Amino acid sequence: MSLTKLALKNITGSRFRSWVVALCALLVAAFVLSTTLIIRGAENSLRLANERLGADIIVVPQGAETTVESALLMGVPAEVWMPAENLERIAAVPGVNQVSPQLYLSTLEDAVCCSAPSMFLVAYDPATDFTLRPWLEETVGGSLKLGEAIGGTFVFTPKLADNILLYGYFITLRANMEPTGTGIDQSMFFTFDTAQDISRISQSRAEQPLELPDGEISAVMVRVEDGADPHEVALDIVQQVEGVSPIESPNLFLTYRQQLTGLLRSILLVLGITWVLSVLLIGLVFSMAAYERRRQLGVLRALGATRRFVMQTLLTEAGVLALVGGLLGVAMATLSIYFLRQPIVNSFGIPFLFPALPSLLAQITIGIGLALISVTLAALVPAYRISHEEPADAMRE
Amino acid sequence: MIALENVSKRYQLSKEVAVEAVKEVTLHINTGDFLVITGRSGSGKTTLLNLAAGLTKPTSGRVILNGNDLWTMNDKAQSALRNQLIGFIFQFPSLLPTLNTLDNVYLPTTFLNGAGPGPGLDRAKDLLAMVGLADKLDAFPRQLSAGQQQRVVIARALMNQPQILLADEPTSNLDERTEQEIMELFQKIHQEAAITIALVTHSSELISYGTQAVTMADGQIMTEQKI
Repeated sequence: MSLTKLALKNITGSRFRSWVVALCALLVAAFVLSTTLIIRGAENSLRLANERLGADIIVVPQGAETTVESALLMGVPAEVWMPAENLERIAAVPGVNQVSPQLYLSTLEDAVCCSAPSMFLVAYDPATDFTLRPWLEETVGGSLKLGEAIGGTFVFTPKLADNILLYGYFITLRANMEPTGTGIDQSMFFTFDTAQDISRISQSRAEQPLELPDGEISAVMVRVEDGADPHEVALDIVQQVEGVSPIESPNLFLTYRQQLTGLLRSILLVLGITWVLSVLLIGLVFSMAAYERRRQLGVLRALGATRRFVMQTLLTEAGVLALVGGLLGVAMATLSIYFLRQPIVNSFGIPFLFPALPSLLAQITIGIGLALISVTLAALVPAYRISHEEPADAMRE
Repeated sequence: MIALENVSKRYQLSKEVAVEAVKEVTLHINTGDFLVITGRSGSGKTTLLNLAAGLTKPTSGRVILNGNDLWTMNDKAQSALRNQLIGFIFQFPSLLPTLNTLDNVYLPTTFLNGAGPGPGLDRAKDLLAMVGLADKLDAFPRQLSAGQQQRVVIARALMNQPQILLADEPTSNLDERTEQEIMELFQKIHQEAAITIALVTHSSELISYGTQAVTMADGQIMTEQKI
């Protein structure tokens, strides 16, 4: 009979103890995986959103920083305006290489003239745009034509319709972007000309027309020259252009990053406490179970089992239970996070992107690994103590 | 076969209180002996048996098993010697509750640790047949009577073809009739398989089954006799 078979027989033989240990392993693995999934999902989301925006600095009207971040991150529609002349002023700042204006708009709520209510809309200038161009060239082979748009991953044309209706204007969805887990996934992008056209058509066909203030823009996307320090350029913009606020790319979504850091700290604290308690509980359960089986283990030693064999048997039992609990835990965590990702986004107020398979597998491995380490660590002391007891003492009542 | 030379065992119960369970005992168990060790409860018989088997370390003295000084050997060598030379029968129910009868009997082969191929399952079945339990191969200990369990323990003790059986009060939990059956089984094993036996019992009536007897009191051997 092999050591593994003996360990498995012991596991099935004392079901209550086995379930308690496996449950602790399940909790450790599930908690570790769900927290890393949420935190990493939020981080990934922020990084992808940053990459998608593709600018070193976004200049917005002073005081509108949070509104714009909320729009880009959570898809909360924003309409902010500043003089279009700012574009030239920003372009003149030393270190600025390219500038491109954008208009931030939104669809109407509960209006029959709009297919999607409260959707964040971004109009860009194809003549100067450098943020969407690489992506557009790759997916639609150039810029968008009048009446065309691209959408985030969750934007779609309604069933039985050929177009999306915005302010009574039919717009064609050319392509969808890759998911980012942010508000960009629920946003739509089209050219300035299309925005003007929507505004014109909306005057007669929408319940409320789309107003585009003359000589106003919402934001300026800035790319700095090679070798220029974006932070220095941002400081120069503040000094040289009145009434604007530059958001540097690394500082974009700073509020959310800070929120995320706070959340991470709290979760890490709870995770640490849970882990310590689990290890202690497993240690206690194992000690009790091993103590109960002292006589049995003494008999094994009398029959010729070495101390090492007894210890290996106990640790194999612990390992198998950790593996079973860990696998159940990661399966539960993965399924829960996958199916509850939207309520999580809503309740935590953070963006979230479910990880790709390789990243998910890596995180699952960490979860199972930690469960395995925790249970083995907890079982180590009782296993050592019992296996090193004199057989005669172990067999005594 | 087994020699205990001036062996003592003291248990330190607290800082001040110590109990000397065995006091400077010298005892030789030779090949072919059926030694019955008797004495009252607390006389040190079980401790003596544990010392002879290397299950507890003597406070002083030497234990020699087949020419090997047990307590100069490492755990691996000592365990191998126990596994291959000694068969144990305990007073308490010592079958593993999670294993069936056949697996329990086969269990000692697990610890042979590369010392030859070891006996196969057929030997386990034969031994169970010898103790009259050929029809209980798949039964679990909880499904057997106390007498049947003790028969399985005897079969297990014989699995690795030991040279000596050490039995600690093997009949104390059994009724009179079963006790007689078990003792007859020991006699049969001693005579037919030529296995040395050392048996501890509080019952002086069982002395008649042995070839030699010692009586213990207060951790010392008081009498030795040939039967």
